[in-house]
Formats: sequence, C-alpha cells, structure tokens
Amino acid sequence: MGVLDGRVACITGGTRGIGLAIARAFIDEGANVVINGRDAAKAAASIDELGAGDAVHFIAGDVKLREDCERIVEGTVEHYGRIDVLVPNAGGGSDYAPVAQMTDEAMQDAMLWNFWHTFWTMRTALNHMIPSEWGRIIAMSSVEGKMGKPAISSYVASKHAINGLCKSAAKEVGTLGITVNAVCPGAIETDVMMAQGPGAAEAMGLTYEGLLQTFAEESAIKRLNEVDDVAAVCVLLASDAGAGITGSMISIDGGTSPY
Amino acid sequence: MGKLDGKVACITGGTRSIGRAMADAFLAEGASVVVNGRDEAKGRACLDEMGAGDRADFYAGDASQQSAVEGLIDFTIERFGQLDICCLNSGGVQMTAPVAQMTDEEWRLEVDWNLNHVFWGMRRSLNHMIPRQSGRIIVTSSVEGKLGKPGISGYVATKHAVNGLVKAAAHEVGTLGITVNAILPGIIETDIVRATGPDSAIAMGLDGYDALIEMFAQESSIKRPNTVEEVAAVAVLLASDAARNMTGCLFPVDGGTMPY
Repeated sequence: MGVLDGRVACITGGTRGIGLAIARAFIDEGANVVINGRDAAKAAASIDELGAGDAVHFIAGDVKLREDCERIVEGTVEHYGRIDVLVPNAGGGSDYAPVAQMTDEAMQDAMLWNFWHTFWTMRTALNHMIPSEWGRIIAMSSVEGKMGKPAISSYVASKHAINGLCKSAAKEVGTLGITVNAVCPGAIETDVMMAQGPGAAEAMGLTYEGLLQTFAEESAIKRLNEVDDVAAVCVLLASDAGAGITGSMISIDGGTSPY
Repeated sequence: MGKLDGKVACITGGTRSIGRAMADAFLAEGASVVVNGRDEAKGRACLDEMGAGDRADFYAGDASQQSAVEGLIDFTIERFGQLDICCLNSGGVQMTAPVAQMTDEEWRLEVDWNLNHVFWGMRRSLNHMIPRQSGRIIVTSSVEGKLGKPGISGYVATKHAVNGLVKAAAHEVGTLGITVNAILPGIIETDIVRATGPDSAIAMGLDGYDALIEMFAQESSIKRPNTVEEVAAVAVLLASDAARNMTGCLFPVDGGTMPY
C-alpha cells in the first residue's frame, strides 16, 4: 500500500531528470502519473524505463505555450478521470548574460518556461481541484528562487516569481483541502543542467566544471544534490501527511539557502 | 521494510504530543527509540501504550538540565549501542509576559529549555556521530522561530536562536554524513499548549485559550491548527536515507503562516 494509492498526478517535463525521478517515486507509492515532454521518442524510452504499464501516460507538449499547458492538464483529467497532484516541473533558461546585456528574448524565454508555464498549469489544475476539495500543487522552484547569482537573472527572477505565486495561491485555497508549495533544489546535474550549464557558466566567466564546483562549495554538503532528494520531498507533500504544509518553499539544497 | 530499520533514535520530550508522534512514527518505520520526559510514571505509561517491546525505552529527566539531556544521549548509546537520530524536541514556556515585565528567572528557564537544551544535545550527539560519519539531528523549532508574537519574547528569541544554531552546525558537519535540520510547526494543540495557552492568551490580551488558538489558525492559510502527525511525517523524511542531502533546512509545517 502506497501513500499515493488512487491519486492521479501530472508532471511537466517528466521524461528525464527531476521530473522522471518524481514520476518513479509517485508510481512506487501507487499513483497514476502523466508525464510530459516535447519529444515523443525520448518519452518512449522513459516510459519503458518506468515499466509501469497503465500507471503512466505521456502527453506531448511545449510548456512555453499556454494551449499546451492547458492541454496537458486537461489531458490528464481526460485520461485518468481526475487530477490530484500537479508538479509544474519543466524549466530552464537560455542566452544567459548580465542584466546590462540581457535580451528581451532571453528574459521572456525564462519567464515563459518557468513562470508562465507554472501559472497556466496551476490555474487549469485548480479549476479541477477546487470543486473536488482536494489537491496538491508542487512547483519546481530552485535555490535561485531564494538567492541570486550574477548573469542568470532571468532564471533567478522567474523562480522568485514562482515562489510568490505559490504563496498567494496557497492562501486562496488553504481551506479547500488544496496545498500549494514550491520545492527549491540546489544544483543537480540533470540533462537540462548539462545542456544549459555551459552557457550559464560562460556568462559568469566560469567553466562548466567551475560552475558546478561553485554550487557545491556554497552548500554545507560540498556536493551537488540528486534527483531522488527532490522526489522524496514531493512524495511527502503530495501525500495526506502533507495536508498541513502549504505556502512553503522547501529547501533541498544541502544547506545552501540561508532561509 | 521500514525507512528507519536498524536506526536508533532519542527524543527529548518524547512521551506526549509532537515527540510522542515522532516516536510512534519512528517505531513504525523500524527504528528503536528512547523517549524522555520528566515524569517516570508517565514515561512507563507511554512505553506501555507504544507497545514496542525491546525497541523502546524511557529516560527520565528535565530537558532544561544539562545532565538530563546529556544523560539521555549517553543512555541511548549504552542501551542500543549507537545513536543515529537525535530529536531535540522538548521546549516551551512556563510563564508569559511582555518584555517590560519578563523576569530573569523565566528568561533563564526558556533559554535553558529551548536553546541550551538543543545545544547540549547537539554537542553530545555530534561527538558520537562525527566519528561514525553518520547521523541526523532534528530540532523542533517553531513558526515563532521566524516570526514574533507579543508576550512570548523568550520563546520567540530562543526559537530564532535555535534556527541559527541549526544552520551553523549543518555547515560544520555537512561533509560528514550528518544532517542538522529544524522543523517549524505552526500552532498545535499539544498538552503543553493546553497547559500554558490560557496564560499566554492573557499576556497577549486575548479573550481566553480558544481565542489564542483561533488567532494562530487565522494567520495560516489552512485556518486550522497543525497536527502532531504532520510534524512526525516530516521528521521521518528528515531521518531517512532519502534526506541525506537535506541539511540546514528550516522545514515549515505551519499551514502557510510564515512568509519565508
């Protein structure tokens, strides 16, 4: 018997990295899970890897598009009949540069990818959760949702915005059996980090290895976090035991964030 | 198979309320647990209720006293051969008063009970955990460790101090397989809140105990007090292998009360 037996979860960007680890943890606890990604081929490999049969379903979509965000959530309800847990997990940034050189396009890209996607999926999901008076929204923020590194202001600002969104929404639905939390992981060497890290490092005047080292050195554990660290906290927040935790920004960062 | 199979925990103030819920949850996950409290009879009754046989024991002592806190840790190691999880959970106030009327005696008690107890327990535990390169320290702080209510300045100040202690210690032992975290519950109707709540309400100028509980509930998003089980679930997570990379964390269980 799992702590998520009978629950239905939707995870954006769930085909790899943190999202895939959350999907696996949720399935292990008895949930049915929709995972999302842009690439159906990558998803097929992930679904094979999960080996969860009917307990996993893939919905393709680009979270930078509102209609896709809404379709992913609505598609979850259509496929499994409900949505209990939403994890807006996809995110990233591009064309990192100091604010003085940052382009509108780079700022907009990060805001769409991180903030707007979280807002669009949250709004759609809440309209299903409010009538059923049960729900869990677990937004993927970051240690950079509490702090700030130079040259990645787009990422930092959009993750801070997610935290604010969660705090407001938590108060709106707090008496309706719905919790809204953000998890704030430290640096994890996911596929997204490997893809975007070198660009971010260059903008900071570092090598990729130097960037990872900077993150590790800031922490108390002097190493990077792991995807399973985040998944364990998501299971708790998604479970009945998490009913009393809302509006929180849970640090999973090896002791980096000061608050 | 439990998440804490083979682990050994001790819990200050573990016979009732939050500490007791932690003890029950740890036992359910396979750990052995020593609970602590001042009253021997209550401790024995608690062991009977828990029904965990040889996996549970009781150590009598006042958590505001250094000898009792250190004695609990030494007893646990002697009794079960090791200490993996140290929950420094006891705490509270005896009297409430605005700063202008706060007595030295009450202030010293609160510093000993809420702050020094955590320091004594943490230091003793770390000296056992550091050579073993493994351990979990879980401190029961409070929503008042980040906020501040009138009339309970000693509690607020010591819980803020505890948060600082947790963060500093987390950095000291972060590479040694030891995590140090605090849980920050919102108001919970524990035995101690029921005992001291009426006086706290008066010190805050409120119309009785129910008004005090209602004031805390209204500050939250869920508009109700938290429960001991909600805190215990977080303690299990922090004690488990899954949380090996979570440290220095001030984990709120407050229904959305704190702004950060």
